Amino acid sequence: MSQTVDARGLSCPQPVLMALDAIKKSQETEMEVFVDTEASRENVSRAVESQGWKVESIATEGETFRLEIRKAAK
Amino acid sequence: MGLLSFFRKENKQPPVSLRDRGILVFENTSEVIGAENVLKKGGWRIRVMGPPPEIRTGCDLVIEFPLVSELEIVRTLEEAEITPLQVVAVSDGLLEPVNVFFTTDYGEFVMVQAANMKITVDKRDLTVVNISGGGCPDVPYLAAQMVGRRLDQAPEPRSIGHTLCGYALQLAFEEITRKCLP
Repeated sequence: MSQTVDARGLSCPQPVLMALDAIKKSQETEMEVFVDTEASRENVSRAVESQGWKVESIATEGETFRLEIRKAAK
Repeated sequence: MGLLSFFRKENKQPPVSLRDRGILVFENTSEVIGAENVLKKGGWRIRVMGPPPEIRTGCDLVIEFPLVSELEIVRTLEEAEITPLQVVAVSDGLLEPVNVFFTTDYGEFVMVQAANMKITVDKRDLTVVNISGGGCPDVPYLAAQMVGRRLDQAPEPRSIGHTLCGYALQLAFEEITRKCLP
């Protein structure tokens, strides 16, 4: 996973904005996003899916959620 | 006659003090919003509030009204086919759902917060990118219906929400629409 967005410690909407910013500015088609609240996990998932990306997996590591996201094939 | 005296004369309703308030309790937020529209259109001085703890059942709302006008107000609502579940006098404990909007500019995004609810929009294409806050059961549904849609194509929270969070989000939605749409 070549690009990482670390939004731990931030409250909404900042994790969402960081993830969207990365999606729009990066050429990557895969990323991982780290958040540390359930609300951020849900909000980031919803936001990236609205941009045509897919949440491939969500792993819980302690208090951290690691979202693996991938640009959906057109 | 000066302009100020004209406005004073028009204001026929006495000021509402802590001792002469009543609240109207409804089955759901949609009815509260309908009743608010009817009563405000009729010129009544009412406010949508959070209920006092003793009658709170969750993320609900009530309408505060001048108790002296109870009969006329209830009749007006019944004519509009909106019947309150309860009409009670209150002394204190009502909660302000919202008084102030907070706006935060994140550069390409702008967020408006009203009470406990936040709405964030991408300024470039006016798409709703995030709905957060609350804790009411309808917030995930509201977010699912609104995120990814342009402000002018998203459903209004008042039309799909059922709780205090939905009401607060409606206020935030109106404010951000006012700021972002010409």
